[in-house]
Amino acid sequence: MGGASVFWFGVLVAGLCAGALFMFKGKEDPTLWRTCTILSLACCYLMWALTYLAQLHPIIVPKRDDLRIDI
Amino acid sequence: MTVEPSNLQPQDRLDVTSRRDLEQMFSGDYSSGRSLDRAAADMSLSEKRIGNESSQSDDGLGAMLGNLPEHAQLLSEIWEDDSYPFEALLGPDAQTTQQPEVRRRRSKPPSATTSSLTQPPALGWGVPSQQQQHQSWTQPVANFFSQPIPGVASASSQVHIPPLRSRKKTTSIFRSEVMSLVQLYIPSDVARYTVAQLGEMGLIQFRDLNQDVSAFQRSFVGDVRRFDEIERKLRYLQSKIVESDVDLYDFLDNDFISAARGPREIDEMEETVNAHEGRVLRLTAAYKEMQLTHVELVENKHVLEEVSSLFTEITGRQSTAPTAHGGTSGPLDSVPLLGRTDTMASRRSIGSMDAARGELAFDAEIGGMSVGHDINIGFITGVISRDRISTLERVLWRSLRGNMFLNYVDIEEPISDPRHEEPVYKSAFIVFAHGETLRDRATKIAESLGATLYNVDPSAERRQEELIDTMSRLDDLRQILENNRVARINELTSVSEQINTWFTVVRKEKAVYHALNLFNYDSNRNCLIAEGWCATNDIPAIQSALHVATEDAGSNVPTVLQELRTTKEPPTFVRTNRFTEGFQNIVDAYGVPKAGEVNPGLFTVITFPFLFALMFGDLGHGFLMTLCAALLCYYEKRLAWMAKDESLRMFYSGRYIVLLMGIFSMFTGFLYNDIFSRAMAPFASGWRWPTDAGGEGVVVEATKLGHTYPVGIDPAWHHASNSLLFTNSYKMKMSIVLGVIHMTLGICLQVPNALHFKKRINIIHVFVPQIIFLFSIFGYLVFVIILKWSTDWYARDAAGELTHISPPSLLNMLIYMFLRPGSVNESERMFSGQAFLQTLLLLTALVCVPWMLLVKPLILRNEHRKIVSEGYGRISSHVRVSTEADGMAGAVVLSEQEEMQADDFDFAEIMINQSIHTIEFCLNSISNTASYLRLWALSLAHAQLSEVLWSMIFQPTLKMSGVLQPVAIMFGFAVWFTLTFCILIGMEGLSAFLHALRLHWVEFNNKFYDGTGVKFEPFSFKAVLDEADEQ
Repeated sequence: MGGASVFWFGVLVAGLCAGALFMFKGKEDPTLWRTCTILSLACCYLMWALTYLAQLHPIIVPKRDDLRIDI
Repeated sequence: MTVEPSNLQPQDRLDVTSRRDLEQMFSGDYSSGRSLDRAAADMSLSEKRIGNESSQSDDGLGAMLGNLPEHAQLLSEIWEDDSYPFEALLGPDAQTTQQPEVRRRRSKPPSATTSSLTQPPALGWGVPSQQQQHQSWTQPVANFFSQPIPGVASASSQVHIPPLRSRKKTTSIFRSEVMSLVQLYIPSDVARYTVAQLGEMGLIQFRDLNQDVSAFQRSFVGDVRRFDEIERKLRYLQSKIVESDVDLYDFLDNDFISAARGPREIDEMEETVNAHEGRVLRLTAAYKEMQLTHVELVENKHVLEEVSSLFTEITGRQSTAPTAHGGTSGPLDSVPLLGRTDTMASRRSIGSMDAARGELAFDAEIGGMSVGHDINIGFITGVISRDRISTLERVLWRSLRGNMFLNYVDIEEPISDPRHEEPVYKSAFIVFAHGETLRDRATKIAESLGATLYNVDPSAERRQEELIDTMSRLDDLRQILENNRVARINELTSVSEQINTWFTVVRKEKAVYHALNLFNYDSNRNCLIAEGWCATNDIPAIQSALHVATEDAGSNVPTVLQELRTTKEPPTFVRTNRFTEGFQNIVDAYGVPKAGEVNPGLFTVITFPFLFALMFGDLGHGFLMTLCAALLCYYEKRLAWMAKDESLRMFYSGRYIVLLMGIFSMFTGFLYNDIFSRAMAPFASGWRWPTDAGGEGVVVEATKLGHTYPVGIDPAWHHASNSLLFTNSYKMKMSIVLGVIHMTLGICLQVPNALHFKKRINIIHVFVPQIIFLFSIFGYLVFVIILKWSTDWYARDAAGELTHISPPSLLNMLIYMFLRPGSVNESERMFSGQAFLQTLLLLTALVCVPWMLLVKPLILRNEHRKIVSEGYGRISSHVRVSTEADGMAGAVVLSEQEEMQADDFDFAEIMINQSIHTIEFCLNSISNTASYLRLWALSLAHAQLSEVLWSMIFQPTLKMSGVLQPVAIMFGFAVWFTLTFCILIGMEGLSAFLHALRLHWVEFNNKFYDGTGVKFEPFSFKAVLDEADEQ
């Protein structure tokens, strides 16, 4: 997995969102369902993608001073 | 009977189409059921006319025919349309076709409906029908039928049947409902039923048509007063019920409450309530009176008892200590007292009646006031409250100059006097005084101090007799009192079974008359005219309600509903359900959407919990929150009482918000890799800690492995000493990116608004420059954030040289983009052409400012000038809204345009507005972006606080040793959990909630939302009763 996975997941989510446009035909309030689905997908994807990207090429390295040595 | 269409024409004003229908009908040319029933409707009009004009005996015929189109239409619709859902017939109309006898008060043979379809209605004219006796036609209603209202309510839809092809479109909370201003012509005998039915449904908001009439001069004030009076009586009964500790039954007679009540039932109820109230009043009054008597008797009894002891004491003292002349009270106390030493313990006397002391040698048996005696010593006896006795004593002593002798005994048991709230402790006293005047004075003094005096016979035998008499009277009275109490409780119990029903009915009736007071009478006072707003989608439901009400009233004169065309701003009705209601409340608290405006509530459903969760990210806390909210949602019916509690209402009404907040918090908590501030490691970490170095105080660095942690923050960061460096940078940037996207969504929502209100200018000259401005500065910032993340700053080329000099500081870059446009510090360069791109973006942003500021006002001014130069003014305001029908019915024209805003084109004002708007937007885009940094700050605070709680309170107990450790762990856990719940979930949750609220109200709503609408508040019994409950 590299940076490209962010893109491909983006494509997948976009596809799911497009699918959601046609999914809730029979529901009582399709607009509500549609909007909720698309927004949730978008929010969750964005957060995941940003978190992933932030760690893709780290500029700093985690440091510890309380590590025990197993001998 | 023949009808000449030409004769009808002048006075009936049949329009061209209906006349054509008539002619078609006469020529027997029927192509479809539609034209048939249309014709039938028109026929019935003309028939009514004739009936009213020529002979009164004939008038039922028209009514019968009036019913025909209704059935004809139903059947012909079904005929034509196979897909017509027969279930729809099972509504209020089902009974009309299937069980005529049950529902309808007039009975109609089922065959009549079929005949109306198969035969031309003209043949039906001569058919005698048994329902004719019941019909009564009122002239004005008949008039309405002759009014063809173009495009609004056709003749057939005035017949009270909901249109078969429902106008219902799918509605959502994206926009408010399309509203219609409707006018109802309600025959006055149906009015009460109609309004009651509408109140049950709660679909229509009546306008006040009598605004200039004061509340006391309205038509139905009398009725309102009447129900006010009944309600007062009911409240009295209820207070009595509460007083007597009778159980209130939580019982509602649903038949009586929901069914249409006739005036007779109401009268009966009023009578019953009056009777109950009268009985309870009488019983209570009698009870009070008897209680007073009871108190008197009790006191009298005590006086008789105590006084006899006092007498005995005195006589006893005389016999045992006759030499006690001039002595003090000393010898008196030593007197043996006939076994009453207990009560006499508190007895005391003023013993220095020097003069009288000698004369005390009167014969106690025959002494007294009335009995003439050589020595005129009399006495008064009475009862006074215990704390006054010393005052009495002192006052008497002073005013009678010591010529008196007072003795008293405390009555042991308290006496419950209805005039006082609590039982009072009292004392019986006896005062001996010499002479008539002194006695009178003593009497007055005692009475003024609140004593009750009782005459006591000096003779012991007669006292005994009196005592026995008093006792027996007391017993009788107690019996009567008990009977009275039982009777009262019985009465109240029977009331308590019904009182809730009565309350509901009375409140509903009162609401009905309040609503009727908003209506207007037509000139003949046969008909009430109501105007109100309702959702266009609800009109069929309202029509069927009108239909049911007409039937309930047993009337054949239908209520007529017509839609008015108006340019008035309708109230806003957002049709919410229990899920969206809470979110809509968040929006409404900021501002109710204008009619047709995009409602942010729809987007708030997801964005609000998500932004909340960014600040509240913790899997454990999110789980607890979800759990609580899920319980609330699952048991929502059982917990409905919470909605009535002042402090719990917030949680109850927001339960679905909290549920979503909890769910999203679990998600963000998973990505933040926090569960009660601990880390999780469901995936392999992307870092490896060295195993050969380290130890306390030795700084070691992890080495990067080939892969990146797939979901969320790598657990390796969790206990790193520099973890804050990383999370701060990450959360800050994420806040900016998400904030810019959120604001972009807000700006984009201007587009549907502009499209809906048909203002293209707002898209091209407001939306476009705004979005370009935002993107050229903050869009670019988002771009470089992503770019910086995606670039490997330590990558080396083939020669082993670093390809990049160093990672740039984005903050500096942004600042220098403004300060030194056109140049980029070589060490901070991210991509080639960066300097050029930045200059370009800056220029674009600068161009957008005058574009936003000037173009729209200038275009508006040009348009205005063009119109004026072509010689057109704006159409002047006063547009009549009501149709001709009002005039025909003699109705007042009610819906006139009250005011149209002045159309004067004021360029200066537009310019000022636009410049404010522009400046606000430009400055806000900067400050709002910064405002989203609260997402980072709150999230940081939450994570740190939960870390502190764990490491300070719970963790030390885990590191303890010794036997006490289990206890310490339990205790530590209890404290930790309580604090977690109260501080982290409760208070932190509240603060994150408020910040999310602000981000929606200010940062999001500002971009597109006016929120200047007025809320739709339909006339509904539910609201009326809820309000009454709250009081």
